[in-house]
Amino acid sequence: MERFVPGVEIKGALSMQIEIAGFPYLSAILITCVTGLLVILLLPEERKGEIKWVSAGFSGTTLLLCVYLFFAYDKTRGGLQFVEKVPWVPSLGIQYFNAVDGFSLPNLLLTGIVFFTGVLTMWQLQERVKEFFALYFLMVLGVFGLFVSMDLFFIFVWYDVSLFPMYLLIAVWGTTRKEYAAMKLTLYLFAGSALLLPGMIYLYVHSGLNTFDITALMQPGTFTTAQQKFAFPLFYVGFGILAGVWPFHTWSPVGHAAAPHSVSMVHAGVLMKIGAFGVLRVAIFLCPEGWQYWSGVMAFLAAFGIIYGALAGLRQTDLKYVIGYSSVSHMGIVGLGLSTVSVEGLNGAVFQMFAHGIMTALLFSAVGHIYDRTHTKEIGELGGLSRVMPVASFYFILAALAGMGIPGLACFWGELVVFIAAFKVYPVRTVVALLALVVSALFMLRVVQRTFYGPPNERYAQLSDVSFSSGIPRMILAGVLLLFGLYPALLFDVIETASIPFMNGLPR
Amino acid sequence: MKWMLFGPETYIFLVAFFFLILSMWRGPHSEKDHVLALALSGLGVVISLACLGAEGLLFAGAYRLDLFSQVFKVALSFGLFLIVCLCANVEEIKRRYRLEFYFFLFVCTLAMMLLVSAQHLLTILLALELSSYSLYILVTLRRDEDMGLEAGIKYFLTGIFASSIMIFGMALLYGATGAVYLQDLAQVLPEVMGTPAAVIGLLLTFGGFFFKLAVYPFHFWVADTYQGAPDQVTAYIATASKVAVIAVVIKLIAAVDQNSTYLIHVLAVLSIASMTLGNLAAMVQKDMKRLLAYSTIAHSGYVLIGILSGGTAGYASAVFYALALLVMKFTVFLVVVVLSPRGKNLEREELAGLHGRSPLLALALMVSIFSLAGIPPTIGFMGKFYVFMGAMDKGLFVLVLIAMINVVVSLYYYLLIIKAAYLGHSWETPPAVHLPQPMRWLTGALIATMMVAGFYPTPLIRLSEAVARSLM
Repeated sequence: MERFVPGVEIKGALSMQIEIAGFPYLSAILITCVTGLLVILLLPEERKGEIKWVSAGFSGTTLLLCVYLFFAYDKTRGGLQFVEKVPWVPSLGIQYFNAVDGFSLPNLLLTGIVFFTGVLTMWQLQERVKEFFALYFLMVLGVFGLFVSMDLFFIFVWYDVSLFPMYLLIAVWGTTRKEYAAMKLTLYLFAGSALLLPGMIYLYVHSGLNTFDITALMQPGTFTTAQQKFAFPLFYVGFGILAGVWPFHTWSPVGHAAAPHSVSMVHAGVLMKIGAFGVLRVAIFLCPEGWQYWSGVMAFLAAFGIIYGALAGLRQTDLKYVIGYSSVSHMGIVGLGLSTVSVEGLNGAVFQMFAHGIMTALLFSAVGHIYDRTHTKEIGELGGLSRVMPVASFYFILAALAGMGIPGLACFWGELVVFIAAFKVYPVRTVVALLALVVSALFMLRVVQRTFYGPPNERYAQLSDVSFSSGIPRMILAGVLLLFGLYPALLFDVIETASIPFMNGLPR
Repeated sequence: MKWMLFGPETYIFLVAFFFLILSMWRGPHSEKDHVLALALSGLGVVISLACLGAEGLLFAGAYRLDLFSQVFKVALSFGLFLIVCLCANVEEIKRRYRLEFYFFLFVCTLAMMLLVSAQHLLTILLALELSSYSLYILVTLRRDEDMGLEAGIKYFLTGIFASSIMIFGMALLYGATGAVYLQDLAQVLPEVMGTPAAVIGLLLTFGGFFFKLAVYPFHFWVADTYQGAPDQVTAYIATASKVAVIAVVIKLIAAVDQNSTYLIHVLAVLSIASMTLGNLAAMVQKDMKRLLAYSTIAHSGYVLIGILSGGTAGYASAVFYALALLVMKFTVFLVVVVLSPRGKNLEREELAGLHGRSPLLALALMVSIFSLAGIPPTIGFMGKFYVFMGAMDKGLFVLVLIAMINVVVSLYYYLLIIKAAYLGHSWETPPAVHLPQPMRWLTGALIATMMVAGFYPTPLIRLSEAVARSLM
């Protein structure tokens, strides 16, 4: 086709050229996912065991790459690292531009962990195994892509790639009211993309730079204050739907309850983070003045979400619904952190994203394990499980304690830092939200008490506890929860390499 | 080498003539005829490709060859080839008409090729009528007399009504400007744009094309005709015919649109109405062909966004969208044709259990449906994205927002199709679908095209831009 274009003119002043520093680790992660996907597709359906081993192998490789990146990231230098830049559609200003900074690195690590443990959690799956893992890989490919991409167009593409497998994953392998939940979730989340795409093109057109490159678009002075105020809500709501921002959260408990366990893990653990991360990476990065303007509203919605999630959780009888509402509440904490317009707030929010991701994944993994044995998620039908399955119960209780913010576990630090930062700016909203959290802690205790203590249900008295091998995913998650709970600086140091320069660069 | 300029048209004309003679010579012989048609239409693609670089004016300037027309001729001959691929088993069409069926297919394609090159209002009119009349007949060829006839008569009556409106519009336009060549029209029209005769003439002229494009309020025929026509003919109307009409509308608008905000507003309203109506009506359809008919109306709305945005980017996006539509609509129809029960239309619920009967077809259906819905990384998403870019450049934020809301609305019924294919369990399990090897390759190639062009659209975008530039 080259011969039709004697001179392709590129309007923008930005030169587009290939720029790759060292080994392309970020692309390697994506390529590992794609290769895994293809290998799974080529394997025949009957060889279920091999499909699972292949999935575990490829997801384990991505986890190793993520861990490597996390430790190889040069904290003293900060900024964007592992940059890969290749022109993609020059005439539209689209680049394949991958890089990580302190904001995306924790999320990348989180995705790697949840991806791998999710595969292990689904080890018992017997029905349509091949299709399940193929779609699962596709979904996670989108998640990885979004966290590493620095190009607005690709962020949108990855966003949708991570969402559309969800419909089939829930509708085919789900449990409670699965078809309704799948449709509701998909339409809700794509409604978000209906706001994102116009917003992105709006910024692209008004920048006049002919590029979707976020680093170029975020330069101060690219957009007027009015434009930022206009575009910010589009991104905030668009991504916020996925982050479970009240009042756009209603898909979340329904979807989480209906999805198969590992999909719930990825969904609550990672996908909701995509929403929060999108707010950070796109809305806050590109429209900082819009952020400052709308931060009061953000704080209000976040505080309301915290309260609402906590109170709605009180009335639930289904274990997964309980976790679903607690996710709304905990994602409210992330939103509250983002709304403070401060270094501490950003630190706490990103830390909370990570911690909540691990914690929810552990909860869903534990519930999944219990459900596989008892075939019920009803709190009333369970009871005294800790006597029957002490180890399996331990994981759930540990995660529940983490969710309550017990010191020593990762969530504590996220919540603490966010609330300190928020108290300075919005004292009333923060205090009310804190009170709601106390209520939510109570209800978590009630759930734990009803499910794991009290008189055991006779029906389940014969069930065996976890074997060592099937407990591996939960061991990993619990270990991570403890590691970052005891040594939070490991994560905070990384986040600060991004949050401090970003806040310093803001016009005051 | 002047005859090379007219190469594809001459070739297709000769093939059509050949089929006409053959139909007088002997009776139809399904398998032999199909192979013959396949080979001849395949050669047609090659010849169109060979004439891709042709440029020039023929017939006293009434016929223009440039990259724009030649690319669309390739697309048309390729569309014809694809449709012929589906005709291995034309059970739906009365046996004694099977040779005439090919004859009319080729004649219709010839007419559309003439259409994309025509520069004179009368040439345009003649080409459009020739293609329409071929289609009127093709629609009625269905074995089930009632269905085919009903569809054909509805199509015919509304069609000639639209044509007469268009002729009236052209007459008014001629009266107001005194021009019959598009290039003259472009020069004279801006001066007389304020006069009622010019405005009404222009709108009525476009009415005729909007009828073909199935834009609101000229969409009445679509659902019934799609439903009643033989599957292959419906596929032809939805793909090749649509591409040709999009091409000619782009050409006309590019000729008359001199930054006329008036025209943009009219088109924007039509676009919004088409999208909304098409998507809402498609939600309640059970018959797959009716559903696709309404989705066609919606897609015409999206194409109009690109056309009304104007400029190189706008027209390029519309060209891109037209080519994308060809591939993705065809893939859906491929599934519909293969699965259609004998003598009846395919219901959405009959897709149940498709993933077990034929994983390849289920995958093709999923990718093409997601492509129609505009989900990345498919070609349909790139098309929508490209179209929206052009519109946003014109400052039409609200239009883009409404279009995106429509995309979400349309997702509902598209997901229902996927749900049926991947989840539905039919009570008596139908046998596995047997696809011949070449069809498997074709299906695989279509899936790959939609994905690759969606993920790496650069070559196609460059082509569309070059096409749009050749138009300006």
